[in-house]
Amino acid sequence: MVNGERTDRKMIDQKLATDVLDAALSTGGDFAEIFLEDRRNHSLILQNNRLETVNSNRLHGAGIRLYHGLSAVYAYTNATDRDGLLRCAKEVASAIRDERKETCRAMHSATHADIHPVQMRPSDTDARKKAEVLRAANASARATGAEISQVICGYNDSEQDVLIANSDGLFVKDTRVYSRMSCRAIAANGTENQEAYETPGALRGFEYFVTSVDPAALGKRAGEGAILMLHAPVCPSGVMPVVIGNGFGGVIFHEACGHSLEATSVAVGMSEFCGKLGQQIADPRVTAIDDGTIPNEWGSENVDDEGTPTTRLVLIENGILKNYMIDRLNGKRMGMEPTGSARRQSYAFAPTSRMRNTYIAPGNDDDDEMIATMGNGLFAAKMGGGSVNPATGEFNFAVSEGYLVKDGKITTPVRGASLIGKGAEILMQIDRVGKNMTMAQGMCGSLSGSVPTNVGQPWIRVKSITVGGRS
Amino acid sequence: MEQAFIEKLLAEAEKAGIEAAEAYVVEKESFSAITNAGQIIDYKSNVTGGLGFRGLKNGRMGYAATEAYDDDAIRQLIKGVIESAELSEDTDEELLYHGGDEAPELNLYDSSIDQAKPEEKMALLERMEAAAKAYDSRVDNGYSIVETGKHTIRIMNSVGLNRSFTENLCVLAAEPTAKENGFVATGSYQQFAHCFDALNPERVAQEAAKRAVDGLHAAPVPSGNYRVVLFNEVMCSLLGVFSTIFSAETAQKGLSLLTGKLGTTVAAPCVTLVDDPLRTDALGSRPFDAEGVPSKAHTLIDKGQFRTFLHNLKTARKDGVETTANADKAGYAATVHVAPSNLFFDQGDKSFDQLLAAVNDGLVITEVSGLHAGANQVSGDFSLLASGYTISGGKRAKPVEQITVAGNYYELLKSIRAFGNDLCFPDGSIGSPSADVGELSVSGK
Repeated sequence: MVNGERTDRKMIDQKLATDVLDAALSTGGDFAEIFLEDRRNHSLILQNNRLETVNSNRLHGAGIRLYHGLSAVYAYTNATDRDGLLRCAKEVASAIRDERKETCRAMHSATHADIHPVQMRPSDTDARKKAEVLRAANASARATGAEISQVICGYNDSEQDVLIANSDGLFVKDTRVYSRMSCRAIAANGTENQEAYETPGALRGFEYFVTSVDPAALGKRAGEGAILMLHAPVCPSGVMPVVIGNGFGGVIFHEACGHSLEATSVAVGMSEFCGKLGQQIADPRVTAIDDGTIPNEWGSENVDDEGTPTTRLVLIENGILKNYMIDRLNGKRMGMEPTGSARRQSYAFAPTSRMRNTYIAPGNDDDDEMIATMGNGLFAAKMGGGSVNPATGEFNFAVSEGYLVKDGKITTPVRGASLIGKGAEILMQIDRVGKNMTMAQGMCGSLSGSVPTNVGQPWIRVKSITVGGRS
Repeated sequence: MEQAFIEKLLAEAEKAGIEAAEAYVVEKESFSAITNAGQIIDYKSNVTGGLGFRGLKNGRMGYAATEAYDDDAIRQLIKGVIESAELSEDTDEELLYHGGDEAPELNLYDSSIDQAKPEEKMALLERMEAAAKAYDSRVDNGYSIVETGKHTIRIMNSVGLNRSFTENLCVLAAEPTAKENGFVATGSYQQFAHCFDALNPERVAQEAAKRAVDGLHAAPVPSGNYRVVLFNEVMCSLLGVFSTIFSAETAQKGLSLLTGKLGTTVAAPCVTLVDDPLRTDALGSRPFDAEGVPSKAHTLIDKGQFRTFLHNLKTARKDGVETTANADKAGYAATVHVAPSNLFFDQGDKSFDQLLAAVNDGLVITEVSGLHAGANQVSGDFSLLASGYTISGGKRAKPVEQITVAGNYYELLKSIRAFGNDLCFPDGSIGSPSADVGELSVSGK
């Protein structure tokens, strides 16, 4: 399916786009771009055993970006009629004080294959069906045990229409449909609370909850996880070998390395991986990929937020750094081509290079062997979120479900741990990469706001890492 | 936003059978720029806004919001609110405020910020970059940031409320890098102000540069339990994350371990925690809350005794108390929740050096990272990447990085031994002095 003209909700035509871009270029800018967005969000929250909040929101606005050499200015507005957009164009133009150099080239509509088809538009789906998903998760989470004191289930969907036009003549539209739910179970014993949660999502419509997500199974996992953690002792501190589970375990690569390979940091010399293309930065077992083309995955797109078709990008191949993730402006700064990696939360952000679905590719190692040969350490079965300082490579992330390993055997569950280290060091410390890669969904925050990203990996083992526990 | 549009919306809502309705309108203007080594990394300005609409139908509250004020907006908002209210199973009564009580006068607007031209703002960035470089030869490039913003909030409902206020502010921040012999460290510092002339680029840059240079050649300490002083900014980071435990909304859901602890000892005797929306030196100030209720200061913890949760109208009614006027909306489109305004620990009488002297041997933690993942609001557990320096013989000694500090916030409140006299509001609305917090578990080498 080609989706050029699938929707036209308050979008602008090529004539208006040309006029606005020309106005933006009037003071000497050398490239101008419009990003226009109309987005409908719907959310439901079930807590205290009842549906408590139902909310809908319509975001609507446009951002105009103007380059002048290697600098860029951005302005945005909710007023997307001719007057509003021209005012916004004048606002960006006023930041440049030069002679006009460029005019907008003739527009051509770019079409692209829709590689992420949607079967059930959320806006056509009865809200009662959405509520049923939450009720199923809530009931099974509560059924896991009397210690479950609260369950909070959330449902969110979003239909985002975008139009991107630039002074090179690009004129492209796309629609992104997102569906996600969360189930957060809290277990309590009067003096302590512990929680566990599940948060699946996809670039899909409501069919995601019909064909792919079993809300009852999800609620059960959350409930059991919370009860497990309520009875778990605190994790010990120290430097030790750690096996990190698949799925959200991939957050280690996302934080320890992914952000530092975004041109956002690399182009301005604020990454520890600057100038390392072609060099070995990881153990040869490690191949890492950032792929925006996987059909209907949470971090996928058809085109990025600059209108460039999305790509599959090998970041690291057998330990060798192959590619950075590059947006148009940072590509100019680096003298390199964009990789379809430009993303933004909404029209209120200028785009920059961001991860999409980022994962460590499957390797050849055996899961049982990596535990059996690790001696004493930690098995981090489930990870929480994390963060990184790309300039120094210092990262941290939380272990949401961990187990002690003694003499090569998984033993007691432990809680409250975090893992810290420096990206460049940890990549070289990976000494096992398993075979079964899975992905999990997250929201990633950076300069251009919060965007949906997948993390993923098979089980991996890190020879030595600092575990921040409490005993 | 046209008054006429809101009036029409409320009138149409009444015709559609919505029993009581409220529009919450935000209008925003902002400017921000980031440079690195003289290059503009980010530069943006905007004029935007949005309207949040809520209404009671059969006693249940429905919500909808929009940024588009086209012909469909009124119809969409009314349809959205009715659908939302009809689906809601929340039997706890949510109320609209009648607006009978006067809101206090609070001047949160300064014309100097609006009058500052973009080139004046960019000049501050140049001065910051120069001052950071001049501070020490080891200072390398890094981010310099300036922001100005203005917002107006108006709440108008069908039961008599119609009030608004305008606030503006400006921010400078510097995040330079320091490099030496393969070591890299970053430092950051920011200044918020309600007046443009109060911004001091040299001071911001020098403080950030000092922090970057001080972090060079830092190393982990051995794992173990350490006596710890948490620097004021770190105390603020923790209080910010765990401020939810003081919300009646969190407590009523069973997610705060302070549930049932009113009137009991929940913290050390030196701990007094205040929420004061009327302070003019902090940025969470406001004449009224997100429901339009006039602002007042409240003491949450008084010398260790837990006095009150923070409330909005709904949580207050459920607990049979008065609202503390802490209704909050995280944006025009959000539903009404509970959040602090300016929440801070009262300061003590010891200087920072006296805190160190009392500890004698231990650690000062000056920075923590990863709060969104490493601090759990439900359990109170935290394990955070940290840096700082050792205390040896009561004095500052070696720089420390790549360690974690771990503990539990409920236990930490009880173990605070003393507060310093250096109360500050680094992010604008959460304040704390530095504190001697007793022992924490540290993981290092």
